[in-house]
Amino acid sequence: MKILLDKLIINYPYFAAVILFLIGAFTVLTRSNLFKKLIGINIMESAIFLMFIAAGNIRGGAVPILRQSNPEALYINPVPSALMLTGIVVSVSVTAFALALIIRLYQSYGTTDARRIAEMKREVT
Amino acid sequence: MRDFILKRVAALLLPFIQMYGLYVIFHGHVSPGGSFAGGIVVGLAFIAFATIYGLERGRAKMPERITTLTESYGTLWYGIMGMVGIIKGAPFLANKLAGIDLGTLGTLSSGGLISLIGLGVGIRVASTMVTLFFTMMEEES
Amino acid sequence: MTATIISNLPVFVVITPLFVAFILSTFARRIRLVESLVITVLALGVLGAGYLASLVLMRNGIPIIYSMGGWPAPWGIELVAGSLSAFFLLLVAGVSLPVALFTVDNMTHEVGGSVRTTRFYVLYLLLAGTLAGMAVTNDLFNVFVLVEVATLSCCGLVSACKHPRAAEASFNYLILATLGSALILGGIGFLYIITGHLNMGFASMELSRIWQDYPHVVWIAAGFLLVGFGVKSALFPLHVWLPDAHSTAPSPASAILSGLAVKGYMICLIKVLYNLFGSTLIQKFALHRILALLGMVAIIAGSLFALAQDELKRRLAFSTVAQVGYVFLGLGQVNAQGLTGTLFHIASHAVIKSGLFLAAGAIIAATGKTRISEMVGIGRKMPITMAAFTIGSLGMVGIPLFSGFIGKWHLLSGSLTAGSTLAPLVIVIGSVLAAAYLFPIIRTAYFEPAQAIDGQDPGVPQRIALILLAAGVVILGVAPGPFLELAGRAAVELLALK
Repeated sequence: MKILLDKLIINYPYFAAVILFLIGAFTVLTRSNLFKKLIGINIMESAIFLMFIAAGNIRGGAVPILRQSNPEALYINPVPSALMLTGIVVSVSVTAFALALIIRLYQSYGTTDARRIAEMKREVT
Repeated sequence: MRDFILKRVAALLLPFIQMYGLYVIFHGHVSPGGSFAGGIVVGLAFIAFATIYGLERGRAKMPERITTLTESYGTLWYGIMGMVGIIKGAPFLANKLAGIDLGTLGTLSSGGLISLIGLGVGIRVASTMVTLFFTMMEEES
Repeated sequence: MTATIISNLPVFVVITPLFVAFILSTFARRIRLVESLVITVLALGVLGAGYLASLVLMRNGIPIIYSMGGWPAPWGIELVAGSLSAFFLLLVAGVSLPVALFTVDNMTHEVGGSVRTTRFYVLYLLLAGTLAGMAVTNDLFNVFVLVEVATLSCCGLVSACKHPRAAEASFNYLILATLGSALILGGIGFLYIITGHLNMGFASMELSRIWQDYPHVVWIAAGFLLVGFGVKSALFPLHVWLPDAHSTAPSPASAILSGLAVKGYMICLIKVLYNLFGSTLIQKFALHRILALLGMVAIIAGSLFALAQDELKRRLAFSTVAQVGYVFLGLGQVNAQGLTGTLFHIASHAVIKSGLFLAAGAIIAATGKTRISEMVGIGRKMPITMAAFTIGSLGMVGIPLFSGFIGKWHLLSGSLTAGSTLAPLVIVIGSVLAAAYLFPIIRTAYFEPAQAIDGQDPGVPQRIALILLAAGVVILGVAPGPFLELAGRAAVELLALK
């Protein structure tokens, strides 16, 4: 039990990532408000980013920029950070596109509630 | 006259914000940040201008014709910089292999083509941010 | 000059469509120029892919490796053009060109305005470029980025019409697909954490050495990737976004989405499963059983759902769900026959389904009828369109001499080799069900007494597109030749990794 707790405490970023991921997934799947769904997606993606960046971190490591003053320093792993920058770009585009779609949906249905939209669609057909 | 202080402060600060964005774009390889972060800063300067001085004046600074061009050719610039490698007989996006002098460690020139590629990406990101903002604001009204 | 182009061909097939897509929006005023640019780029893509495929065939299975920026593999990003890549590149180029031909002169009234049409083409080229990228990439993170760009372009294509239903379908697709890509990214993250590599070859070497130390992590990574790619490629219980998205999109978009986009994610899954986990690990973790089971469920359920639809495009969309099942069923048979069948089925379904969707689009555009029961006597009014539709249906059912037959035949013999009794039965039942949901359309179109229904065959480029795709179905069925050869070699290469 103590070993398990120790593991959890040492790996707390991963633990936080799992909790965040679950919160996000739960929000996406259970909320019918389109904005909340989108926020859920963003939380979920942040969880994955957190996991990646935590994996690349080395405690006590320096910023991974090669300098002449101390080329031998212990650098953190820059690859996950670089990857997650790309991930953030992707996430921004997804968010922007989803917001544009929500605006269009609101204009045609007058609501941002997925359940109401489904009802109105059924009434039309 | 209602937003007098806001407008004055913005007029003072926005040029420096843009300069800072350009700095971040060009120094992506020697300091934290890079073309995406810098591009966002530059784009945010335009967005801040539009929110403070009103949408019309903001749009006049960045008309749709211009953002379309910068978006397209910012990305094309990336491709052209990538092609430098191919023209020099090295693979796509080659830097040192394409015979670019990499200068001394820690200076701006040590990135070779990276700063120039970053410029294209930064322009693209800035104009995309501006486009996104205006598209949503105009859709709303 | 030519030598430079040839030695850089793996990167050119990816970046040419992408960069042309980016500058396309500056020509929005001149729609003719935009259309001809798109066609030119895709035709060049066919040439490039054909040349690359012949190169790969000549090199006897030694893949062409291209290091981006000149950085060798574990540090740099690698493009690998092997048999699988050449096969899928050829497919992407060969299907996206006829579909683009179908859009010539045809999109402005469906999408509305030249600016919106240009945006449609931008997304179209982006999708083509990313699919080409999926074919050649050998880097896990590139897979994620390409999948994500493809997803965004797909969502954009779905919402290209101004119809509110399209916006809703697109939003649902976007949410579920982003959920899927978050899972894919998570899976890639777990693999990166335990192996320390993003290059699939190096990650695979590392994984085969250390998987015993981290069995749970491998399990979780495999599960994340399977569910993620399953959502993207519309595997049965995760297919809920597909019918709405593919039936509300403009018809050429439906064709490219059902025909190619779904296949791109499958190619990525195949790469991750067989190039990274390797066949030994797949069997150790019993992934092949899960895949085969899910595939069988998808075949039966997708076909039954398709039978229940009266709207033509929805029926075709559900049929895609069923055909996706075949691919997963084949992935679950870890032998060369089954994998050859899977790959060939991917190709034949891409050609057939894009042809069917284009024919459906032509019918709907000409008559305004969307329901099958209203399409009485259409076969006599629109002979070319309906002939293409009939050939596609025959191919889909798997009649000999049409392309669907060869894929299903290999799948069948593969599943018999694998010693499964249920799988061959499901394959046959799936074919019967395909006949049950496709042949009534043909019967309604040709043999029911004609009403006063208006409609005529579409314009010349549209006819050429339909004829090209129908010819593709027949050629793949009669003389599969180099295509089957590529698929067979790709299967052997995939299984070579232990």
